[in-house]
Amino acid sequence: MSAELPATSTLPVAPVLLQVGDEMPSTTIGPLTRTDFVRYAGASGDLNPIHYDEPMAQAAGMPSVFGMGMLHAGMLAMRLARWVGPDNLRSYRARFTGQVWPGDELTLTGRVAGVEQRDGTALAQIELSVVSQRDEQVLRAEASAVVAP
Amino acid sequence: MIDPAIKGKVLGTVRFPLDRSKLGELARALHDDDPAWHDSEVAAAAGLDGVPAPPTTTVLADHWRKQGALEPAIEIGMDLPRVLHGEAAWEYLMPVRLGDELTAATIVTDVATRAGKRGGTMTFVTLETTFTNQRGELAVRQRNTLIETGARA
Repeated sequence: MSAELPATSTLPVAPVLLQVGDEMPSTTIGPLTRTDFVRYAGASGDLNPIHYDEPMAQAAGMPSVFGMGMLHAGMLAMRLARWVGPDNLRSYRARFTGQVWPGDELTLTGRVAGVEQRDGTALAQIELSVVSQRDEQVLRAEASAVVAP
Repeated sequence: MIDPAIKGKVLGTVRFPLDRSKLGELARALHDDDPAWHDSEVAAAAGLDGVPAPPTTTVLADHWRKQGALEPAIEIGMDLPRVLHGEAAWEYLMPVRLGDELTAATIVTDVATRAGKRGGTMTFVTLETTFTNQRGELAVRQRNTLIETGARA
């Protein structure tokens, strides 16, 4: 048995005070390995072999296997939920703009682009991005979340 | 070639239970170590009324389809090696918690074609899936845009 570690959460519950220009704490994840792709394949059920079967990926004209879009879209959404609180998120839209390859290091960022008042509720519009160490934007996203008025 | 007449086609439903080991696996795969994503005691101590599901958890419902995650693309006749995922969008209407059972119902909402940059025809298919919880409440609406790139000449 391993020692009991103190387990506490930093997830916000109530809406967080956010204003235009506020930035999400930036995170860098990686270098990603094929194991990361396989782990997400198992967790999600996305068993498309192009993400873990090298000969198959190369036969399809790719230089190697590559990550599922939902892997980095999911990582970004987790960071977003940690920032605004999971129950305060109202929408999230991710556009896949590039591939993630084994060895990539991804930097996840987000910024409040606007806050609008609607029926007594403050709703933040958030712009987010995932950029690789090659300075390629592999995903851009937008989200809305209820924030403290 | 995808038949534009598939617009409006209902791709069937699937029921998906959110259990602790699955949510723990997902949080780990997404490189997030906050225990509140799978531990109900930690979540309660943080003031949450249950273990929250990560925002992209609904994607996992596809795992429960008979032909796996690619079943919707297979059902509408897409050529899998040419399929790209263009966009995914979620609307959150109600919190989703560990222990919930979601019923996913998918419908083809749009089919559009465009000439590809490298020849051939690109086909954009939009799928909308609604996720209803065990109390009959619509919790999440998800929209996916799948792109079938042009066939090589």
